[in-house]
Order: sequence, then C-alpha cells, then structure tokens
Amino acid sequence: MIAEQIVNGIVLGSMYALVALGYTLVFGVLDKLNFALSELFMLGGFIVIGSVGLGAPLWLAGMLALVICGLLGLVVEFVSFRKFTSPDAQVTAALSSLAVGLIMIDLVQKTWGGEPVAVPVPIEWRRASLAVFGMQVQTMKIIILALTLVLMAALHVLITRTAMGRNIRAVAESPTFATLLGVDVKRVNQQTFFIASALAGAGGLMFSLRNGVAASDVGFTFGLKALAIMAIGGMGDLRGAVLGAILVGVIESLAIQFGFGKLGEVIVWALMILVLLVRPSGLFGGAHVTEQRA
Amino acid sequence: MSQDLLFLTGINILMAWSVYIILLSGSLSFANGGFMALGAYAAGVFTMKWGMNFYAALALAGVGAGIVGALLAYPALRTRGVYLILVTIGLSFIIQTLIQNTDYVGGVRGMTGMMGTTNWHVWGLIAIVGAGLYWLSRSHLQRQLDAVREDERVAASLGFDVVYLKIVCFAAGACLAAIAGGLYSHYMVFINPDHFNIFVSIYVVLYVVLGGVNNLWGPVVGASIMTILPELVRGLASFRPLVFGAVIIVLLLVRPNGLLAMRLRTLKADRERSA
Repeated sequence: MIAEQIVNGIVLGSMYALVALGYTLVFGVLDKLNFALSELFMLGGFIVIGSVGLGAPLWLAGMLALVICGLLGLVVEFVSFRKFTSPDAQVTAALSSLAVGLIMIDLVQKTWGGEPVAVPVPIEWRRASLAVFGMQVQTMKIIILALTLVLMAALHVLITRTAMGRNIRAVAESPTFATLLGVDVKRVNQQTFFIASALAGAGGLMFSLRNGVAASDVGFTFGLKALAIMAIGGMGDLRGAVLGAILVGVIESLAIQFGFGKLGEVIVWALMILVLLVRPSGLFGGAHVTEQRA
Repeated sequence: MSQDLLFLTGINILMAWSVYIILLSGSLSFANGGFMALGAYAAGVFTMKWGMNFYAALALAGVGAGIVGALLAYPALRTRGVYLILVTIGLSFIIQTLIQNTDYVGGVRGMTGMMGTTNWHVWGLIAIVGAGLYWLSRSHLQRQLDAVREDERVAASLGFDVVYLKIVCFAAGACLAAIAGGLYSHYMVFINPDHFNIFVSIYVVLYVVLGGVNNLWGPVVGASIMTILPELVRGLASFRPLVFGAVIIVLLLVRPNGLLAMRLRTLKADRERSA
C-alpha cells in the first residue's frame, strides 16, 4: 500500500512540478512572482473542456490548452510585468498578477459556473490500469508521468542546448550584462512567460484528466502550493523545483495514507517557511538568488 | 443601507486597517485572514464553551492573536518583499487547515451559536482605532515607521530599533484582525473555516492597495468602495471580482500607491508652517 501511495505521490508531484517550474522560471529570469500561473493551471483543464465542446479531438484540445495558456502568459507579462521593472516593483507586479488571476477565476465561473465540470474523457480510459512490479497502476497515471517527463526533458534541452535557452540563462544571471551583450531582454521575458504559462497549463490539463473534473478553485487550493514548492526547491532553481515537487507530492500522499488527511498541507507550508528562514537558497542549494535579507 | 451591509463595511474597514498597520513598517501581510479566523474562533470558544463575557472574550482573543502574531513575526519578518508574501500566505493556509482539523471547534462543519455583536460595537471600534491611527499619524512614532518603511538600513543607522518596530506593528495588526474576526463571528452566528480562506487575506490587501497605502483614509475608502458599490449598483455585484481585478490592474499602472496616495498633515509639516 505504501508503495502505491508513493507512486501516487510521484504522479501528484509531477503535476506540481510543471507549475513550480513555471514559477521558478519566471522568478529566475525576472526575480518576480507571477501569481497568474496558478490560474493558468486552473484554466488548462477548462480550455480542454471548451475546445472538445467545440468539436476538437482530445489531442488537439491538449495542444490548444498549452498554446492558449502560453499566449495568455504573454498578456500577463504585458499587463502586470512590462511596466514594473525596478527591483522595488517586485510587490507591485505580484499584486497586479494576483488581480489578473482573480479576473481569470471570475471569467471561468461566469462561463462554466462555480461547480466542477466533467472532463469529456471516456470513463474506461480512467478505469484502465496496468500491472507494474505487481502493482495495479492506472494507465492515466502512467501517461501523466510520461508526458511530464517529456515536457521536462524538452525544457531541459531548451534551456541548456538552444540559443533561446542561452539567452534566458544570460538574463537570469544579469539583465544588465545580457543587454550589453546584445540580448533582447524584452523578448527573453516574453519567451519565459510563454514557456512558464504553457507548462502551468499542461499541469492543469493533466490534473483535470486525473481527477476527471476541472474546478475553478484549484488555482488557489492546489496551484498556489507550487509557490511553496518553488521556495522549498530554491527560488529560480529548476532542478530544485522538480525534486521539491516530488517530495511534496509524496509527503501529501503519505499523510493521507497514515490518516493525517489534509494536515499534509500544513507540513508543506511549514516546510516552506522553514526553508525560507533557514536555507533561503532552497533545500537543494541551487538557487541563484541569495540576497533577500536586509 | 441595510444593517448587514453597514456591518460588513465596518468589518472590512477594520481588516483593511489591520493590513495598513502592518504596512506602516513596510511589511505586506497576507496572513490577516488567518488572524481573523483565529480571533473569530477564539472569541467563539471563549463565549460559547467557557461562558465568558462578550467583551472579555474579544479582548482576550485580540491579545492572544497579538501574542501569536508577535511570536510568528520574529522569524517571518526576517524575510522581505515577495519572500514575506510567501511566508504570510503559508501562515494563512496553515491556520485554516489547522482549524479544519480541530474537532473541538467543529472542524470543517464549523461552529454556531455566537451572537451579541451590533453595529454600535463595530463602528465604535472604528472610531477608537481611527482616533488612535490619527494620533499615530501626527506622532514621532509615525516618523520612525516612515523611516523603517523607506529604508531599513538607514533607519537602523539612525538608531531606531527596526526589528522591535516591525514586530509591534505585526502584532498590532494581528490583534486588530482578530478582534474584527471576533466581532464577525458574533454577528454571523455561524462560521466555518471557508469563511476565512486565502481570498479574505488577498481581498483585504487589495482594499488597501486600491485606497492608498500611505495614509489612514486610503484603506477606509478602498474597503468602503469595494463593499458598498457592488450592492448599490444593480448588476455590479455579480461582476465584483472582475471589476475589482480590472480596477486594481489599471490603478497599479497609473497610480502605483493607490487612489489617495498623498501624505496628510504631519508633525513636520505643522512645524514648518509655524516656523
């Protein structure tokens, strides 16, 4: 049973990881929090429902979710981050993106209502399971895990092997020097927002596939925890975000297994506070931002 | 204006002030919804289960939350800016989840039976807190807090005890939020943990941002507009988050310090005038 819960935790963690990667990408490049990512996570599922409702096949709907979330990310960048570039504007940008998130929630609730909406996936899909090492694991979970791994690998290649990734890393190191070297910082910011938002959308899409429903409140109940994960893994540390997400997913699953229920959430947030106080560079020590105290 | 609307406006003003008091020292707190929950539940337990007097319960809940606030503030305020936002959001979630899992206060089902708050209590408290904040805005303490808010290092080099000032502000804000929570629970009769979710903390911060962050009338205006306007203008109520969010975005772009971002008369201005 414990092994099964650990598998569940890893699947849960892999969905957290996609949102946390988005948060940490934006934080790494701009040193700012983009609260709208939690709501793009929520939107991921609803875009699938909407586009399947309009007659798109499921694979196309999934692609659409990624692209639309990415494009909305560009809107967020324009509205909430373009003007607030100074380090003092950190909080202003965070508040502004929070307001964008509130608007997204409201629009979704206006369109689909406040109750969770069923995702149009055949029930057999969600019931099917495979035997792995003597355990029955739902096929859906294996698909989610595989897709997350593909996305993470793609992100890794993008960041470490391509010209775009090199520019992103340069701006993350120092926007000033990147500008001096001829990197178009505005363009890099847009690319970062697109990638981060598409990842959050992908996370939300898989989350709603696993649950069978999309709900308008998951942004704040679930997506916001990616913030805690980003801090646990180290703000701006991509590898830390993935490891932190899996750690948190497993902690939560085991908490449920051992009868602590939602108290697992307390552990996650308490762990975040502890990490911020004691090891601000993150549990795995890879964050490039260390100067946060007076 | 109906009694309920008057009451809600009053509570929101008190909550906005509780954020404003913490903001005086330069810290933005997303934990005030959590402190409100602490106060609401603590006061409820004191009157319902321990048979305490209503006023004593409110005072004790406020003092208790103030002490909890001070204890949490000491580690939390070592972080700044967005890090402090993360820590206070975490506190909000922790408080809400702990209450959900405490059977003594009804867990997720909530608690019922508290009563006794009238609008006189709420608006009386607003008058007292408002008078206190007005006195503060003309005192030397305000100058010290301004210094801490603008630049901690400079303030510290001038010999101000930055940590002490920040903790006092955080504790005072937590205390006020808790008393507002106590008043809230004894008016609503029934409360459950969902009444104090993260949205409460977020909305209260946005009231302050909307109204203006650097004088005591800003939070009043922000809270009043966002509570009363949707009720008065027909059809606006269902678009409240949409309109609210859009207003905040536009406001941050054109007036980053809020609607009423001007300094009121201060000690220094008075002295210069008389000189």
